[in-house]
Amino acid sequence: MMSVIRIDTTDKHIINLASIVSGARSILYKKVDLLAYDCDGFTIHKHLPKAVVFPKNTAEVSQIVKYCSENKLPFLARGAGTGLSGGAIPINGEVIISMVRMKKLISVDLENRQAVVEPGFVNLKLTNSISDKGYYYAPDPSSQYCCTIGGNVAENAGGAHCLKYGVTTNHILGLEVVLPNGEIIEIGKNGVLDEPGYDLLGLLTGSEGTLGIVTKITVRILKNPEGKQTVLAYFDRVEDGSQAVSDIISAGIVPAALEMMDKTAIEAVEAAAFPVGHPKDIEAVLLIEVDGIAAGIDEQINQIVKVCKKRNVREVRAAKDEEERGRWWANRKTGFGAMGAISPDYLVQDGVIPRSKLPEVLRKIAQISGESGLRIANIFHAGDGNLHPLVLFDARKPGEIEKALEAGSQCLKACADVGGTITGEHGVGIEKREEMRFVFKEEEILAQTNIREVFNPDNLLNAGKLFPTPGRCVEIKKEMKA
Amino acid sequence: MIIDEGLSEIKAYFKELQLIEEDQHHPLGNSGRVRVSPKTEEEISSFLSYANTKGHSLFIMGNGTKRGYGGLLEKADILLSLAQYTGIVEHNPGDMTLTVKAGTSFQEIQNYLAPYNQKIPLDPFYPNHATIGGIISANDSGPKRLGYGSARDNVIGLRMVYPDGTLITSGGKVVKNVAGYDMNKLFIGAMGTLGVVSQVTLKLRPIPKYESILFVAFPENNLEEIQSFAVKVLDSMIEPISLEILTPTLAGRLTNNNQYTLLISFEDVKSSVHYQEEVIRSITPEKTTLTSLSQNEATIFWDRFYHQQPNGITNSSSTVAVLKIGVTNLDVIKIVKETELIGDSCHVSIEAHGSLGTGLCQMTIRGASDDVVFAIKKIREIAVHRGGYAIVKHLPFSLRKIVNVWGDKSPYHFLFEGIKQKIDHNQILNPSRFVGGI
Repeated sequence: MMSVIRIDTTDKHIINLASIVSGARSILYKKVDLLAYDCDGFTIHKHLPKAVVFPKNTAEVSQIVKYCSENKLPFLARGAGTGLSGGAIPINGEVIISMVRMKKLISVDLENRQAVVEPGFVNLKLTNSISDKGYYYAPDPSSQYCCTIGGNVAENAGGAHCLKYGVTTNHILGLEVVLPNGEIIEIGKNGVLDEPGYDLLGLLTGSEGTLGIVTKITVRILKNPEGKQTVLAYFDRVEDGSQAVSDIISAGIVPAALEMMDKTAIEAVEAAAFPVGHPKDIEAVLLIEVDGIAAGIDEQINQIVKVCKKRNVREVRAAKDEEERGRWWANRKTGFGAMGAISPDYLVQDGVIPRSKLPEVLRKIAQISGESGLRIANIFHAGDGNLHPLVLFDARKPGEIEKALEAGSQCLKACADVGGTITGEHGVGIEKREEMRFVFKEEEILAQTNIREVFNPDNLLNAGKLFPTPGRCVEIKKEMKA
Repeated sequence: MIIDEGLSEIKAYFKELQLIEEDQHHPLGNSGRVRVSPKTEEEISSFLSYANTKGHSLFIMGNGTKRGYGGLLEKADILLSLAQYTGIVEHNPGDMTLTVKAGTSFQEIQNYLAPYNQKIPLDPFYPNHATIGGIISANDSGPKRLGYGSARDNVIGLRMVYPDGTLITSGGKVVKNVAGYDMNKLFIGAMGTLGVVSQVTLKLRPIPKYESILFVAFPENNLEEIQSFAVKVLDSMIEPISLEILTPTLAGRLTNNNQYTLLISFEDVKSSVHYQEEVIRSITPEKTTLTSLSQNEATIFWDRFYHQQPNGITNSSSTVAVLKIGVTNLDVIKIVKETELIGDSCHVSIEAHGSLGTGLCQMTIRGASDDVVFAIKKIREIAVHRGGYAIVKHLPFSLRKIVNVWGDKSPYHFLFEGIKQKIDHNQILNPSRFVGGI
C-alpha cells in the first residue's frame, strides 16, 4: 500500500519501511521523535533507534521483519515500554516495531474460558472487558493499567496474585508469531492444550522478544473467586514477619497473595500518594489475601491470625470492607513509584529465594546497604520468595549510579548464593546479562543461545539481550587462567 | 549397531553398570540389544558420552508404562533403564519444593510426602509404576489438571543429561523464575528426544483437608442437557478440581451405572467442599441421578480410575489402543458422542473420558487390529475437523508402523527439527520416537 505520509529523508531504508506501514504517523525517524524510544522502564542505558514503525496488522509486521532481515537491519518489538530490565532498548540502533496500534480484543469465549487479543492490548483492559460477566485475566503486574499483553508474554510477567494463580506462561494457550525471517506461524491453534511437538508456547513466553514477534495471543480467563478477604499484619521484628510467611504456607493455606514491605519501604509508601497509616516504627508489614469459595475463607483467615499471633505480631486485622482492601492494595501496588517521595532516584531489583531463606537474605541486603552507603528498601512477593530490593540513590552525585548498580548486583548474588535466582518477573534484558553467570554455567548459557540460533540465526532480532556477551566471557576465562 | 566387540567394550568400560543382553522380542518394541541400568548421574553422563561418541542409539525407559507410546524402531542399540536411579535428593518442607531422581515412582514420592501433609499436584496414570521422569517426559496428566495444572505448571527445575554427557540445569529451586529461556518447557513432553531427565524439582501443594467426588448420571444420554449443565457449573463460582465426562461404557465399569456421567470433584476445607456439593445438587437437572464419594471412598475410586487404561506393563490378548485427544473445552462432549458412533460402525469397544475444563480427552479402544486402526483414523479425522488433534498413547509396535502415532507434521515442524539437531546432532536419543520421526 502507498504511504500517505511525506518522508523527508534520503535514507532508502526509511523510505522503504514507510511504504510498508500505512497511515499517518506510522513511522518515526527524526531524532526529536526518536528520543522517546531510547529506553524503556530501565532508564540507566539509552540508545536511539534507527526508526520506529507502527504496523497495524500481522501482514505488516511480517513485511517489516522480512525487509529488516533481508537488509541486515537489526530490529526489535516494543509494547508500552514498561519493561524494567531494558529488553526494549535499541542498543544496536534497531528499527523498533511498536505494537501499540495492534490493540484489539479480537474475541472472548466465556464458555471455553479463553480470549484472543492483539499484542498491544493493555493487560487491565482485558479484565475490565469481562468483569461484568464475572471473569478476569489473572496475571496482574503492578503496571497492568498500561502494560501490554504482548509485552507480558515477552517477559513472562508476574504480579502480586501469581502465588496462587501462576505467571503469564500458565495462562497462555496460543500464539501467532512472526519469526525473525518474516514467516508467520500459529502455535496452540484454537487454544487447544498440549499440541504435539516441543512446547514452543512455553519456550517463547519469557524469551524477551529474542525468538520471534508475537502478533496474536490466546489467553485463559478465569471466573472471579466467590469470596476474598485481605489481612494486614504488623511485625516489630522482620524475622517474625518472615517466619509467619513460612508458617502460613506450611499450614496448608495457599493465599492468593502474600506481600511484605520493610521499614524503609513503609516510610516511602506512607510519604507518597496513597498512605494508609502504617506505623513507622515496625520492621515489617504483611498483606495477605485469601480467595476462593466464601464458605471456606473464614477458617483460613482465623488460621492466619493465629499464626501471626504465634509470631509476636503487634497488630493483625482483616479489611473491614472493599474500600479498605482497595486502599491497602493501592498503597502496595504503587510501592516502587513511592520511592520518589524519599529519594531522587531508585533502582529496582528482582531476585528470588527459597522462602525459608528470607531472614538470612534480608540480613545480607542490610549489610550490602551499609557497605555501599545507600539505603535499600525491600518490597516482596514474600509468598513466592520474589524480592524487590529498591536501591535508593542520587544520580546527580558523581559515581552514585555505578554504586547503585553494584549494590543491586550484589543483592542478586545474595539471592543466587542461597539457591535462588536473579529474576522472578522483570526479565534479564540488558540489566542482568552478566548476573546470568550467578545461576548458569557456561554450557547452560550455550544451551540457550543454541536454541536462539534455531529461531534467530542471524541474531538481528533484539540482539545483545538476555545473555552475557561472549567477548566478556573470553576476558573472564583469561582472568581465571591468569 | 552394536556388534559383539562393542558389547564387550562397553562391559570393559562400565564394569560397575548392570548390563543385560536382551534377545527377546517385546510386542511394544522400544527395546534395546543391551539393557543398561545406571544408578548414578555420573554413570548416566559417562555412558551417554560414550554412546554419543560411538554413535550407539538409545531408548530411555523408567518402569515401562509408556513403552507403547510412540517409536518406529523395534530395538535401539541400548535400552537405558532408569529404574534403579531412584530416591529423594532434597525436600524443603518450608519452601514446599522437592528434588527427586528420575526413576522414582510417583506413588513412592507421594508416600514420602504424605507425613509432611504435602503432595505433588499431578495425577498421572499408573502412579504405582510410572516414574517421575517418564511422567515429565511424556507430559502425562489426568482429570485433576483442571484444578492443579500439569507438569508444565508444577516443574520448576530439571537437570538434564545432554547426549554428549553434559549436565544442563534448567529452571531452579524457586517457584518463580524468568532468568533465561524457560528450557524446562522444552524438555517436558519431549519424549526423551533431547536429553535424559536426571533430576526433577517440583513445587508442592498441601494435601487438601477434605475431598469428594460427585457423579451426575444422565439416563437419557442427552448430550445437549449435559452441555447446558456443564456450562452452568463452569459459569458458577464453584471451583471443581475436575469436571470430566465419562462414556456409558467407562461409567459402567467404574460406577456400575451405564450412563453418560459427569464426574465433578472438589478438594478444599470441609465447609467449602460441602457448600460446593450443595450448589451442584441445587442445579442438577431432573431425572439425573446423583451419587457421591468422600474422603477414603474418593481415594479408592481415583486409584481405580488411574488404573483403568492399559499401559506398557499390562498384558493384553486383544489389540488395545489408548488415544489422547485435544480440542476446545466443550467440544469434548461432541468428540465423545461422535466417537461412540465410530465405535459402533467399526466394531470396536471404546471407553472414553474427557475434561470439559481443559479439552483433553483419553480413550481406550479394543478390538481386532484392522478395526482398531480404522477407528483411530476416523477419530483423528473428527478431532482435526474440530480444530484439535489425536495422538496414540499406547499401541503395539506392529501397528505403530501403520498408524501415524503423532498425526501430520505441523507447519513449523522445521523448528522442532532445528531444536533436535542442535541438541542431539547424532540422533542417538529415542530415535523416531516423537513427532514427524524425530
